[in-house]
Amino acid sequence: MSIRNQLHVMVVDDMATSRGLIIQALEWMGIRNIDFATDGNTAFQRLASRPVHLVVSDFNMPGADGLTLLEGLRRNRTTQRIGFILVTGNADPAVLRRGQELGMNNYIKKPFSPEGLKTCIERVVGKL
Amino acid sequence: MSLMITDDFRDSFFQECEDLLEAMNDGFRLMAENQHEIETVHAVFRAVHSIKGGAGAFGLDALVAFAHHFETGLDKLRAGKLDLDDTVLGLFQRCGDHLADLVGSARDEVDMDAASSAQLHGELDAIIGTVVQDDPDDAPDFQPAGLDLDLLFAPAPGGRYRILFEPWAELFRSGNDPAMLLRNLGRLGTLSARLNTDHVPPLSELECTRPHLQWELILETDETAETIADTFEFVDGLCRLEIAESATGETVRPGGCNSMPDAPTGEADATGPDTVTHGEQTQPIARTNDSKRASAATIRVDLERVDKLINLVGELVIKEAMLSQSISKIALPSENEVSVGLDSLKQLAGEIQEGVMAIRAQPVKPMFQRMSRIVREAAVATGKRVRLMTQGEHTEVDKTVLERLVDPLTHMIRNAVDHGLEDPQTRSAAGKPEEGTVILSAAHRSGRVMIDISDDGGGINRAKVRKLAEDKGLISPDADLGPAEIDNLLFLPGFSSKDEVSALSGRGVGLDVARSEVQALGGRVSITSNPGEGTTFSISLPLTLAVLEGMVIEVAGQTMVVPITAVQETLQPRTAEIHAIGQDGRVVTNRDRLVPIVDLGAIFGFRPPPETLDNHVLLLVETDNGRHCALIVDGIQDQRQVVIKSLESNYGHVNGVAAATILGDGRIALIIDPDGIIRDATGPIGGDFQLHAAR
Repeated sequence: MSIRNQLHVMVVDDMATSRGLIIQALEWMGIRNIDFATDGNTAFQRLASRPVHLVVSDFNMPGADGLTLLEGLRRNRTTQRIGFILVTGNADPAVLRRGQELGMNNYIKKPFSPEGLKTCIERVVGKL
Repeated sequence: MSLMITDDFRDSFFQECEDLLEAMNDGFRLMAENQHEIETVHAVFRAVHSIKGGAGAFGLDALVAFAHHFETGLDKLRAGKLDLDDTVLGLFQRCGDHLADLVGSARDEVDMDAASSAQLHGELDAIIGTVVQDDPDDAPDFQPAGLDLDLLFAPAPGGRYRILFEPWAELFRSGNDPAMLLRNLGRLGTLSARLNTDHVPPLSELECTRPHLQWELILETDETAETIADTFEFVDGLCRLEIAESATGETVRPGGCNSMPDAPTGEADATGPDTVTHGEQTQPIARTNDSKRASAATIRVDLERVDKLINLVGELVIKEAMLSQSISKIALPSENEVSVGLDSLKQLAGEIQEGVMAIRAQPVKPMFQRMSRIVREAAVATGKRVRLMTQGEHTEVDKTVLERLVDPLTHMIRNAVDHGLEDPQTRSAAGKPEEGTVILSAAHRSGRVMIDISDDGGGINRAKVRKLAEDKGLISPDADLGPAEIDNLLFLPGFSSKDEVSALSGRGVGLDVARSEVQALGGRVSITSNPGEGTTFSISLPLTLAVLEGMVIEVAGQTMVVPITAVQETLQPRTAEIHAIGQDGRVVTNRDRLVPIVDLGAIFGFRPPPETLDNHVLLLVETDNGRHCALIVDGIQDQRQVVIKSLESNYGHVNGVAAATILGDGRIALIIDPDGIIRDATGPIGGDFQLHAAR
């Protein structure tokens, strides 16, 4: 069984358009198990009870932003091993540094191509 | 292989942009009213940033470039490096307007003049100062961190265990210490312990050598159940020990372990990690400002589907009416099952119709936001200081009505700023604040939507208006006009009270056009004005364009419908009240007023006007601003709700006819347009005051 069949991914983005684009790209890669949440808090609640392998989250969201979600995941025993990819518009060095400190697995700058996202994910989980 | 970005995503992006621009404008309004918090600035920043992010995905470079610059300015404000004064806010608002324009031109795929972008760009530069470009070396040398997939796909070890531990007497006798065991257990993860003392007997019955205590433990650990059991290796057989894996989410959580950090948005009142320690479920953290948006689950539906549904429901209502009519012809006993069933069917059809129509209803808020931009632009163009206040922006109006209201409302708002408000000097001389106020309000009133545009300006200068109308030959110099009649002269085609054509009114559109646009929607416009205090334009609109409360009348064997909103009263006139006037004109005396009589039969060419009105009824109708007219009809049949079927789309426009409907017997009836009829019959100014003059 290839990784893409087994991998469970959660997409977190408050914007329907960018969420849709990420999900579309994941489907294109052949990833079957895709869930999504529209804000950091909801994502965290869901992940705490049903962890996934990889979270692809936007940074810029109302309420809890991407890094707040990452911090929450790393703090909690059941979710601390979840892979985390941050989607960011600015790739602000300060944000990336904080992400690194919190144990972010990778990041991708917007706009991105499906191929770009695939490479980004493969760096984390290996060849899909 | 590449992926096509579908039109669906494009559409959803632009729809989302609308919401984001609305959020942005909400933020600016709070800032203008000085009621903003730091979260307001964050929200505006997020909106612009999200637009930029989406635009990037679609390769909308001009939009991305401007949004990026705008965002940089907002970031400066967000970081507290910029004071929010009127200049800065004004610039941000103009940038917001420009962003909306860019979104619009991207959506419609038209090119925008780059000059305005460049100018705002320059102004932003001035407040931002030189931006330190992101130094690539400054970025952390980020190495992606791979995941150990074997670990990832292995059955997740650990988790939560519920452990019951009850030491027996033997355990103590062999020198073991429960406290030590628990401490060792605690090293495996996070442990919470509860001592159960339920089995401890009263002191009088206590046997000091027999233990009565029981611990209920919850352990969060990565270790397996075997490792946990190993902790108790030396006390095996000396205690009761039960280890069970507990499902996540239903255990008592040890402090701080299962919580999110505070959102970094500075919401001081958001609940922090500490409050999430107990209870069966973790509390949702930050109270979001978007709670309204989050709680209202919505779907986007193609408007065509809704309209089709509305049409079908209309047909249903008509079929129901036809069925009622055929059943009424059969002599059925009263209270029979058929009639009772039909009644509930009728009620249901009505409720479905109301429900479907409500789908088309939308709050006026986005339109009001557009108007605040119109006010800003008009203020700049006229050199006046103007504040727009909005009320009742959650009032809902039919989507089409809303869309078609934009133009007339824009015109009236411009008019209020341009002609309504005085210049700052005049205002201070009159003891008013230099900043003028325009209030835009919406409300539901007796089955209609009322939209008022009020200014606190000088009111209508009636002497000037009258003189202009005379100069332009619109009225005769000896006409006897009341104040309201003079005010209504503003609506005459070709009337412009401004001495010179200003930048704003140079568009060749007068209030008359604005009014006829409102009328085309079945609406009415009226003016009230008080010298020195201001002017109010009131627009009254139907809630829907799909149904109409109408009076079903008969003229020369034809069935027609008159909108009930236009009907003031019905008269059975005595001959003495009818007066001949001119060649073949007739008027009727009603409440000390002379009202011109118009024969509907003759207007539509059904028959010549009747000699006497003995066998006829007069329908006194009123259109805008007190224009009256008495329509001769042969009889009144009914008053009921009728489904509006457009005549334009099925046949063509007919003067004096607003639309058509299908009656219960399947026949088509024309819905008359009283305003059109009065215009045709009495000329553009209408009856009353010409008659006043003639009297």
